[in-house]
Amino acid sequence: MSYFFNISVCLFLVILQTTVMPNLPLLDSFYDLLIPFVVFLGLSRPVRESLPFVFFLGFIMDNLSGSPFGLYITAYFWLFIGVKGITKLLQVGNRLFIIALIVAAGVLLENLIFLGTLTILGPDQQLAGNAAQTVTIQVLWAIWTGPVVFLVLRDLQKRLDAGFKAVYARKDDS
Amino acid sequence: MVFIVGVIVLIAVNIIVLSVNSRRYSSFGLERVAISFISPFQELVTRTIGFTKDIWHHYFALVTIAKENNKLIRLLNQASEKSNLWQETELANARLRNLLDFQKNITELAVAAEVIARDPSAWFKTVIIDKGQADGLTKGLPVVMPQGIAGQVIEVAQHYSKVMLILDRNSAVDSLVQRTRARGVLKGESTDQLRLAYVLRKKDVQVGDIVVSSGLDGIYPKGLRIGMVSEVIEHEADIFHEVFIAPFVDFEKLEEVLVILDVQKHNIVSRK
Repeated sequence: MSYFFNISVCLFLVILQTTVMPNLPLLDSFYDLLIPFVVFLGLSRPVRESLPFVFFLGFIMDNLSGSPFGLYITAYFWLFIGVKGITKLLQVGNRLFIIALIVAAGVLLENLIFLGTLTILGPDQQLAGNAAQTVTIQVLWAIWTGPVVFLVLRDLQKRLDAGFKAVYARKDDS
Repeated sequence: MVFIVGVIVLIAVNIIVLSVNSRRYSSFGLERVAISFISPFQELVTRTIGFTKDIWHHYFALVTIAKENNKLIRLLNQASEKSNLWQETELANARLRNLLDFQKNITELAVAAEVIARDPSAWFKTVIIDKGQADGLTKGLPVVMPQGIAGQVIEVAQHYSKVMLILDRNSAVDSLVQRTRARGVLKGESTDQLRLAYVLRKKDVQVGDIVVSSGLDGIYPKGLRIGMVSEVIEHEADIFHEVFIAPFVDFEKLEEVLVILDVQKHNIVSRK
Protein backbone atom coordinates (compact mmCIF):
# COMPACT_ATOMS: atom_id res chain seq x y z
CA MET A 1 0.00 0.00 0.00
CA SER A 2 2.69 2.50 1.00
CA TYR A 3 4.79 1.30 -1.95
CA PHE A 4 1.88 2.15 -4.22
CA PHE A 5 1.66 5.59 -2.60
CA ASN A 6 5.43 6.17 -2.83
CA ILE A 7 5.67 5.14 -6.49
CA SER A 8 2.62 7.25 -7.43
CA VAL A 9 3.98 10.34 -5.66
CA CYS A 10 7.43 9.78 -7.18
CA LEU A 11 5.98 9.51 -10.70
CA PHE A 12 3.76 12.53 -10.20
CA LEU A 13 6.54 14.76 -8.84
CA VAL A 14 9.12 13.68 -11.44
CA ILE A 15 6.71 14.28 -14.33
CA LEU A 16 5.57 17.58 -12.82
CA GLN A 17 9.09 18.95 -12.61
CA THR A 18 10.31 17.67 -15.98
CA THR A 19 7.29 18.48 -18.15
CA VAL A 20 4.97 21.02 -16.52
CA MET A 21 7.20 23.30 -14.47
CA PRO A 22 9.76 24.17 -17.19
CA ASN A 23 6.81 25.68 -19.12
CA LEU A 24 5.88 28.02 -16.27
CA PRO A 25 8.08 31.12 -16.38
CA LEU A 26 8.02 31.85 -12.63
CA LEU A 27 8.87 28.31 -11.64
CA ASP A 28 11.88 27.66 -13.88
CA SER A 29 14.25 28.14 -10.91
CA PHE A 30 12.18 26.01 -8.57
CA TYR A 31 13.88 23.59 -6.20
CA ASP A 32 13.81 19.80 -6.56
CA LEU A 33 10.31 18.76 -5.47
CA LEU A 34 11.53 15.34 -4.42
CA ILE A 35 13.38 16.94 -1.47
CA PRO A 36 10.19 17.47 0.59
CA PHE A 37 9.26 13.89 -0.34
CA VAL A 38 12.59 12.56 0.98
CA VAL A 39 12.06 14.68 4.14
CA PHE A 40 8.56 13.19 4.43
CA LEU A 41 9.98 9.66 4.10
CA GLY A 42 12.64 10.45 6.70
CA LEU A 43 10.18 11.91 9.20
CA SER A 44 7.13 9.71 8.70
CA ARG A 45 8.20 6.28 7.43
CA PRO A 46 10.42 3.55 8.87
CA VAL A 47 13.98 3.16 7.52
CA ARG A 48 13.32 -0.39 6.26
CA GLU A 49 10.55 0.88 4.01
CA SER A 50 11.92 4.27 2.96
CA LEU A 51 15.68 3.75 2.42
CA PRO A 52 15.32 1.47 -0.66
CA PHE A 53 12.87 3.98 -2.01
CA VAL A 54 15.31 6.87 -1.47
CA PHE A 55 17.82 4.99 -3.64
CA PHE A 56 15.12 4.30 -6.23
CA LEU A 57 14.26 8.03 -6.37
CA GLY A 58 17.94 8.91 -6.77
CA PHE A 59 18.36 6.32 -9.50
CA ILE A 60 15.38 7.62 -11.51
CA MET A 61 16.51 11.24 -11.21
CA ASP A 62 20.13 10.40 -12.07
CA ASN A 63 18.95 8.80 -15.29
CA LEU A 64 16.60 11.58 -16.31
CA SER A 65 19.13 14.31 -15.62
CA GLY A 66 22.36 15.14 -17.43
CA SER A 67 24.22 14.92 -14.12
CA PRO A 68 26.95 12.32 -13.55
CA PHE A 69 25.40 9.08 -12.31
CA GLY A 70 25.17 8.93 -8.52
CA LEU A 71 24.68 12.62 -7.80
CA TYR A 72 20.99 12.45 -6.94
CA ILE A 73 21.45 9.15 -5.08
CA THR A 74 24.16 10.85 -2.98
CA ALA A 75 22.04 13.95 -2.32
CA TYR A 76 18.92 12.01 -1.32
CA PHE A 77 20.83 9.48 0.78
CA TRP A 78 22.63 12.12 2.88
CA LEU A 79 19.47 14.18 3.17
CA PHE A 80 17.62 11.11 4.43
CA ILE A 81 20.40 10.33 6.93
CA GLY A 82 20.36 13.99 8.04
CA VAL A 83 16.59 13.97 8.56
CA LYS A 84 16.80 10.74 10.56
CA GLY A 85 19.57 12.35 12.66
CA ILE A 86 17.47 15.46 13.29
CA THR A 87 14.51 13.38 14.49
CA LYS A 88 16.82 11.87 17.13
CA LEU A 89 17.70 15.35 18.42
CA LEU A 90 14.48 17.31 17.86
CA GLN A 91 10.79 16.63 18.22
CA VAL A 92 9.62 17.83 14.79
CA GLY A 93 5.93 16.85 14.99
CA ASN A 94 3.72 19.49 13.41
CA ARG A 95 6.10 22.41 13.81
CA LEU A 96 5.99 23.98 10.37
CA PHE A 97 8.92 26.27 11.02
CA ILE A 98 11.25 23.33 11.66
CA ILE A 99 9.90 21.47 8.61
CA ALA A 100 10.52 24.59 6.48
CA LEU A 101 14.08 24.77 7.80
CA ILE A 102 14.70 21.08 7.12
CA VAL A 103 13.43 21.34 3.51
CA ALA A 104 15.49 24.51 2.95
CA ALA A 105 18.56 22.78 4.41
CA GLY A 106 17.86 19.84 2.07
CA VAL A 107 17.78 22.17 -0.93
CA LEU A 108 21.04 23.74 0.23
CA LEU A 109 22.66 20.33 0.74
CA GLU A 110 21.63 19.09 -2.71
CA ASN A 111 22.95 22.25 -4.36
CA LEU A 112 26.23 22.03 -2.42
CA ILE A 113 26.73 18.43 -3.59
CA PHE A 114 25.96 19.46 -7.19
CA LEU A 115 28.24 22.49 -7.09
CA GLY A 116 31.02 20.44 -5.48
CA THR A 117 30.80 17.93 -8.31
CA LEU A 118 30.71 20.69 -10.95
CA THR A 119 33.86 22.12 -9.40
CA ILE A 120 35.53 18.69 -9.64
CA LEU A 121 34.49 18.56 -13.33
CA GLY A 122 36.08 21.95 -14.01
CA PRO A 123 36.42 25.08 -11.89
CA ASP A 124 34.52 28.05 -13.27
CA GLN A 125 34.70 31.64 -12.02
CA GLN A 126 31.28 32.49 -13.36
CA LEU A 127 29.70 29.56 -11.56
CA ALA A 128 29.91 31.23 -8.14
CA GLY A 129 27.83 34.26 -9.19
CA ASN A 130 25.17 32.22 -10.97
CA ALA A 131 25.10 29.65 -8.18
CA ALA A 132 24.53 32.19 -5.41
CA GLN A 133 21.48 33.60 -7.21
CA THR A 134 19.99 30.22 -8.15
CA VAL A 135 20.53 28.69 -4.70
CA THR A 136 19.03 31.74 -2.93
CA ILE A 137 15.89 31.61 -5.11
CA GLN A 138 15.54 27.86 -4.53
CA VAL A 139 16.00 28.15 -0.75
CA LEU A 140 13.41 30.95 -0.55
CA TRP A 141 10.94 28.88 -2.56
CA ALA A 142 11.66 25.91 -0.29
CA ILE A 143 11.00 27.90 2.89
CA TRP A 144 7.63 29.07 1.59
CA THR A 145 6.36 25.99 -0.17
CA GLY A 146 8.33 23.09 1.39
CA PRO A 147 6.05 22.67 4.45
CA VAL A 148 2.96 22.84 2.19
CA VAL A 149 4.23 20.00 -0.03
CA PHE A 150 5.18 18.05 3.11
CA LEU A 151 1.73 18.52 4.71
CA VAL A 152 -0.06 17.60 1.48
CA LEU A 153 1.98 14.38 1.27
CA ARG A 154 1.27 13.52 4.92
CA ASP A 155 -2.44 14.21 4.50
CA LEU A 156 -2.61 12.09 1.35
CA GLN A 157 -0.85 9.22 3.09
CA LYS A 158 -3.28 9.41 6.03
CA ARG A 159 -6.31 9.45 3.74
CA LEU A 160 -4.98 6.53 1.72
CA ASP A 161 -4.27 4.54 4.91
CA ALA A 162 -7.79 5.27 6.21
CA GLY A 163 -9.32 4.35 2.85
CA PHE A 164 -7.52 1.01 2.66
CA LYS A 165 -8.38 0.22 6.30
CA ALA A 166 -12.07 0.88 5.58
CA VAL A 167 -11.98 -1.39 2.52
CA TYR A 168 -10.31 -4.21 4.48
CA ALA A 169 -12.77 -3.78 7.40
CA ARG A 170 -15.71 -4.09 4.98
CA LYS A 171 -14.20 -7.22 3.45
CA ASP A 172 -13.68 -8.76 6.91
CA ASP A 173 -17.30 -7.96 7.88
CA SER A 174 -18.70 -9.59 4.78
CA MET B 1 33.61 5.99 17.70
CA VAL B 2 32.72 3.13 15.30
CA PHE B 3 29.77 5.21 14.08
CA ILE B 4 31.97 8.23 13.28
CA VAL B 5 34.54 6.06 11.48
CA GLY B 6 31.69 4.42 9.56
CA VAL B 7 30.33 7.81 8.44
CA ILE B 8 33.81 9.01 7.39
CA VAL B 9 34.39 5.81 5.37
CA LEU B 10 30.95 6.19 3.76
CA ILE B 11 31.66 9.81 2.78
CA ALA B 12 35.08 8.82 1.36
CA VAL B 13 33.55 5.97 -0.68
CA ASN B 14 30.81 8.33 -1.89
CA ILE B 15 33.31 10.97 -3.04
CA ILE B 16 35.43 8.35 -4.85
CA VAL B 17 32.38 6.91 -6.65
CA LEU B 18 31.21 10.41 -7.65
CA SER B 19 34.69 11.37 -8.89
CA VAL B 20 34.86 8.24 -11.05
CA ASN B 21 31.33 8.74 -12.41
CA SER B 22 31.92 12.45 -13.08
CA ARG B 23 34.36 11.53 -15.83
CA ARG B 24 31.86 9.46 -17.81
CA TYR B 25 28.16 9.31 -18.48
CA SER B 26 27.10 5.83 -17.56
CA SER B 27 24.81 4.04 -15.17
CA PHE B 28 25.85 0.62 -16.42
CA GLY B 29 23.07 0.27 -19.01
CA LEU B 30 20.29 0.73 -16.46
CA GLU B 31 19.54 4.23 -17.75
CA ARG B 32 17.50 2.71 -20.58
CA VAL B 33 15.18 1.04 -18.09
CA ALA B 34 14.62 4.28 -16.16
CA ILE B 35 14.08 6.41 -19.28
CA SER B 36 11.76 3.79 -20.81
CA PHE B 37 9.81 3.62 -17.55
CA ILE B 38 9.29 7.37 -17.01
CA SER B 39 9.30 8.78 -20.55
CA PRO B 40 5.90 7.39 -21.72
CA PHE B 41 4.28 9.30 -18.83
CA GLN B 42 6.30 12.41 -19.66
CA GLU B 43 5.24 12.08 -23.29
CA LEU B 44 1.59 11.75 -22.27
CA VAL B 45 1.74 14.87 -20.06
CA THR B 46 3.65 16.88 -22.69
CA ARG B 47 1.14 15.94 -25.38
CA THR B 48 -1.73 16.84 -23.04
CA ILE B 49 -0.12 20.24 -22.37
CA GLY B 50 0.38 20.70 -26.12
CA PHE B 51 -3.23 19.73 -26.77
CA THR B 52 -4.49 22.20 -24.14
CA LYS B 53 -2.26 24.92 -25.58
CA ASP B 54 -3.68 24.17 -29.04
CA ILE B 55 -7.26 24.49 -27.76
CA TRP B 56 -6.34 27.79 -26.13
CA HIS B 57 -4.68 29.13 -29.24
CA HIS B 58 -7.25 27.86 -31.73
CA TYR B 59 -10.53 28.40 -29.96
CA PHE B 60 -10.18 30.97 -27.21
CA ALA B 61 -8.00 33.31 -29.21
CA LEU B 62 -10.50 33.45 -32.09
CA VAL B 63 -11.15 37.16 -31.63
CA THR B 64 -7.52 38.06 -32.12
CA ILE B 65 -7.27 35.63 -34.98
CA ALA B 66 -10.23 37.21 -36.81
CA LYS B 67 -8.40 40.56 -36.90
CA GLU B 68 -5.19 38.86 -37.84
CA ASN B 69 -7.05 36.98 -40.56
CA ASN B 70 -8.02 40.18 -42.37
CA LYS B 71 -4.44 41.36 -42.21
CA LEU B 72 -3.17 38.01 -43.44
CA ILE B 73 -5.57 37.96 -46.41
CA ARG B 74 -4.08 41.25 -47.51
CA LEU B 75 -0.57 39.88 -47.08
CA LEU B 76 -1.56 36.69 -48.89
CA ASN B 77 -2.60 38.63 -51.95
CA GLN B 78 0.76 40.33 -52.01
CA ALA B 79 2.49 37.01 -51.41
CA SER B 80 0.61 35.36 -54.27
CA GLU B 81 2.15 37.83 -56.67
CA LYS B 82 5.59 37.08 -55.31
CA SER B 83 4.83 33.38 -55.38
CA ASN B 84 4.26 33.48 -59.12
CA LEU B 85 7.71 34.94 -59.56
CA TRP B 86 9.27 32.39 -57.21
CA GLN B 87 7.56 29.49 -58.94
CA GLU B 88 9.42 30.39 -62.05
CA THR B 89 12.66 30.57 -60.08
CA GLU B 90 11.89 27.24 -58.42
CA LEU B 91 11.42 25.53 -61.75
CA ALA B 92 14.72 26.92 -62.90
CA ASN B 93 16.29 25.81 -59.63
CA ALA B 94 14.92 22.27 -60.05
CA ARG B 95 16.40 22.03 -63.52
CA LEU B 96 19.77 23.24 -62.25
CA ARG B 97 19.70 20.81 -59.32
CA ASN B 98 19.09 17.94 -61.68
CA LEU B 99 22.02 19.09 -63.72
CA LEU B 100 24.22 19.11 -60.62
CA ASP B 101 22.98 15.61 -59.66
CA PHE B 102 21.76 16.84 -56.27
CA GLN B 103 20.29 13.59 -55.05
CA LYS B 104 19.39 14.07 -51.43
CA ASN B 105 18.59 16.87 -49.07
CA ILE B 106 18.92 17.17 -45.30
CA THR B 107 15.36 16.03 -44.54
CA GLU B 108 16.17 12.57 -45.88
CA LEU B 109 19.15 12.26 -43.56
CA ALA B 110 17.49 13.50 -40.41
CA VAL B 111 14.78 12.40 -38.02
CA ALA B 112 12.36 14.94 -36.55
CA ALA B 113 11.73 14.49 -32.82
CA GLU B 114 9.64 16.18 -30.18
CA VAL B 115 11.02 17.34 -26.85
CA ILE B 116 8.97 15.62 -24.16
CA ALA B 117 10.85 16.50 -20.95
CA ARG B 118 13.56 18.72 -19.56
CA ASP B 119 16.35 18.22 -17.04
CA PRO B 120 15.05 18.27 -13.45
CA SER B 121 18.24 20.01 -12.29
CA ALA B 122 19.05 23.69 -12.78
CA TRP B 123 22.77 22.86 -13.18
CA PHE B 124 22.55 20.55 -16.17
CA LYS B 125 20.90 21.19 -19.53
CA THR B 126 19.48 18.06 -21.13
CA VAL B 127 16.16 17.16 -22.71
CA ILE B 128 14.39 13.88 -23.50
CA ILE B 129 13.11 13.39 -27.07
CA ASP B 130 10.52 10.93 -28.36
CA LYS B 131 12.79 9.07 -30.80
CA GLY B 132 15.23 6.30 -29.95
CA GLN B 133 17.07 3.24 -31.16
CA ALA B 134 13.98 2.05 -33.08
CA ASP B 135 14.19 5.21 -35.21
CA GLY B 136 17.87 4.75 -35.97
CA LEU B 137 19.30 7.01 -33.28
CA THR B 138 22.65 6.23 -31.69
CA LYS B 139 24.80 7.88 -29.04
CA GLY B 140 26.73 10.93 -30.27
CA LEU B 141 24.43 12.02 -33.12
CA PRO B 142 24.09 15.79 -33.57
CA VAL B 143 20.75 17.46 -32.85
CA VAL B 144 19.91 20.62 -34.79
CA MET B 145 17.16 23.17 -35.34
CA PRO B 146 16.54 25.32 -38.42
CA GLN B 147 18.17 28.18 -36.46
CA GLY B 148 21.32 26.25 -35.54
CA ILE B 149 22.90 23.53 -33.44
CA ALA B 150 20.93 22.34 -30.39
CA GLY B 151 23.04 19.54 -28.90
CA GLN B 152 23.97 15.88 -29.15
CA VAL B 153 22.43 12.54 -28.21
CA ILE B 154 24.04 11.13 -25.04
CA GLU B 155 21.74 8.24 -24.08
CA VAL B 156 19.51 6.10 -26.26
CA ALA B 157 16.59 3.90 -25.15
CA GLN B 158 14.29 1.95 -27.47
CA HIS B 159 11.87 4.81 -28.20
CA TYR B 160 13.40 7.74 -26.30
CA SER B 161 16.75 9.51 -26.11
CA LYS B 162 18.50 11.98 -23.85
CA VAL B 163 20.03 15.00 -25.58
CA MET B 164 22.72 17.18 -24.00
CA LEU B 165 22.16 20.77 -25.13
CA ILE B 166 25.12 22.94 -26.14
CA LEU B 167 24.27 25.11 -23.09
CA ASP B 168 25.32 22.27 -20.76
CA ARG B 169 28.58 22.69 -18.89
CA ASN B 170 29.86 19.38 -20.30
CA SER B 171 29.20 20.34 -23.91
CA ALA B 172 31.99 21.38 -26.28
CA VAL B 173 31.72 22.19 -30.00
CA ASP B 174 34.73 22.85 -32.22
CA SER B 175 33.79 26.16 -33.88
CA LEU B 176 34.87 28.88 -36.25
CA VAL B 177 34.14 32.58 -36.40
CA GLN B 178 32.56 32.72 -39.86
CA ARG B 179 34.09 36.05 -40.94
CA THR B 180 37.72 35.55 -39.88
CA ARG B 181 37.87 31.72 -39.56
CA ALA B 182 39.25 32.11 -36.02
CA ARG B 183 38.96 28.73 -34.33
CA GLY B 184 37.85 27.97 -30.79
CA VAL B 185 35.96 25.53 -28.61
CA LEU B 186 32.42 26.53 -27.76
CA LYS B 187 31.55 25.59 -24.21
CA GLY B 188 28.27 25.60 -22.34
CA GLU B 189 27.90 27.66 -19.19
CA SER B 190 24.52 26.27 -18.02
CA THR B 191 23.17 29.79 -18.61
CA ASP B 192 21.64 31.42 -21.71
CA GLN B 193 25.12 32.25 -23.03
CA LEU B 194 27.95 30.17 -24.48
CA ARG B 195 31.68 30.80 -24.20
CA LEU B 196 34.09 30.47 -27.11
CA ALA B 197 37.32 29.34 -25.49
CA TYR B 198 40.90 29.21 -26.82
CA VAL B 199 40.50 31.94 -29.47
CA LEU B 200 43.94 33.51 -29.86
CA ARG B 201 44.17 37.24 -29.17
CA LYS B 202 45.87 37.85 -32.50
CA LYS B 203 42.67 36.65 -34.23
CA ASP B 204 40.06 39.25 -35.06
CA VAL B 205 36.74 38.69 -33.30
CA GLN B 206 34.06 41.36 -33.03
CA VAL B 207 30.61 41.66 -31.50
CA GLY B 208 28.04 40.58 -34.10
CA ASP B 209 30.28 37.97 -35.76
CA ILE B 210 28.55 34.68 -36.52
CA VAL B 211 29.97 31.46 -35.13
CA VAL B 212 29.60 28.17 -37.06
CA SER B 213 30.66 24.59 -36.41
CA SER B 214 34.06 23.63 -37.82
CA GLY B 215 33.22 19.94 -38.28
CA LEU B 216 36.57 18.99 -36.74
CA ASP B 217 35.08 17.45 -33.60
CA GLY B 218 33.60 14.62 -35.66
CA ILE B 219 30.15 15.15 -34.17
CA TYR B 220 28.61 18.23 -35.75
CA PRO B 221 28.60 18.78 -39.53
CA LYS B 222 30.70 21.66 -40.80
CA GLY B 223 29.16 25.09 -41.30
CA LEU B 224 26.07 24.84 -39.08
CA ARG B 225 25.19 28.13 -37.42
CA ILE B 226 25.52 28.29 -33.66
CA GLY B 227 25.23 31.87 -32.48
CA MET B 228 26.41 35.44 -32.60
CA VAL B 229 29.28 37.03 -30.65
CA SER B 230 27.69 39.11 -27.90
CA GLU B 231 30.76 40.17 -25.91
CA VAL B 232 34.54 40.12 -26.35
CA ILE B 233 36.77 40.68 -23.33
CA GLU B 234 40.51 41.06 -23.70
CA HIS B 235 42.73 40.46 -20.70
CA GLU B 236 46.22 41.98 -20.73
CA ALA B 237 47.89 38.88 -19.33
CA ASP B 238 46.00 36.30 -21.36
CA ILE B 239 46.87 34.91 -24.78
CA PHE B 240 43.22 34.12 -25.51
CA HIS B 241 40.15 36.30 -26.07
CA GLU B 242 37.25 35.80 -23.70
CA VAL B 243 34.33 35.54 -26.13
CA PHE B 244 30.67 35.13 -25.24
CA ILE B 245 28.11 33.88 -27.73
CA ALA B 246 24.34 34.32 -27.80
CA PRO B 247 22.95 31.11 -29.38
CA PHE B 248 20.52 31.37 -32.30
CA VAL B 249 18.36 28.58 -30.92
CA ASP B 250 15.85 29.69 -28.30
CA PHE B 251 16.31 26.87 -25.79
CA GLU B 252 13.40 28.08 -23.64
CA LYS B 253 11.04 27.31 -26.51
CA LEU B 254 12.65 24.11 -27.72
CA GLU B 255 9.80 21.85 -28.87
CA GLU B 256 10.87 20.06 -32.04
CA VAL B 257 14.39 19.14 -33.14
CA LEU B 258 16.11 17.32 -35.99
CA VAL B 259 18.59 14.52 -35.33
CA ILE B 260 21.13 14.15 -38.14
CA LEU B 261 21.57 10.42 -38.73
CA ASP B 262 24.53 10.41 -41.05
CA VAL B 263 26.98 13.24 -40.50
CA GLN B 264 29.45 12.10 -43.19
CA LYS B 265 26.71 11.93 -45.80
CA HIS B 266 25.36 15.29 -44.69
CA ASN B 267 28.78 16.85 -45.13
CA ILE B 268 29.09 15.41 -48.63
CA VAL B 269 25.62 16.61 -49.62
CA SER B 270 26.31 20.09 -48.16
CA ARG B 271 29.52 20.32 -50.18
CA LYS B 272 27.66 19.32 -53.36
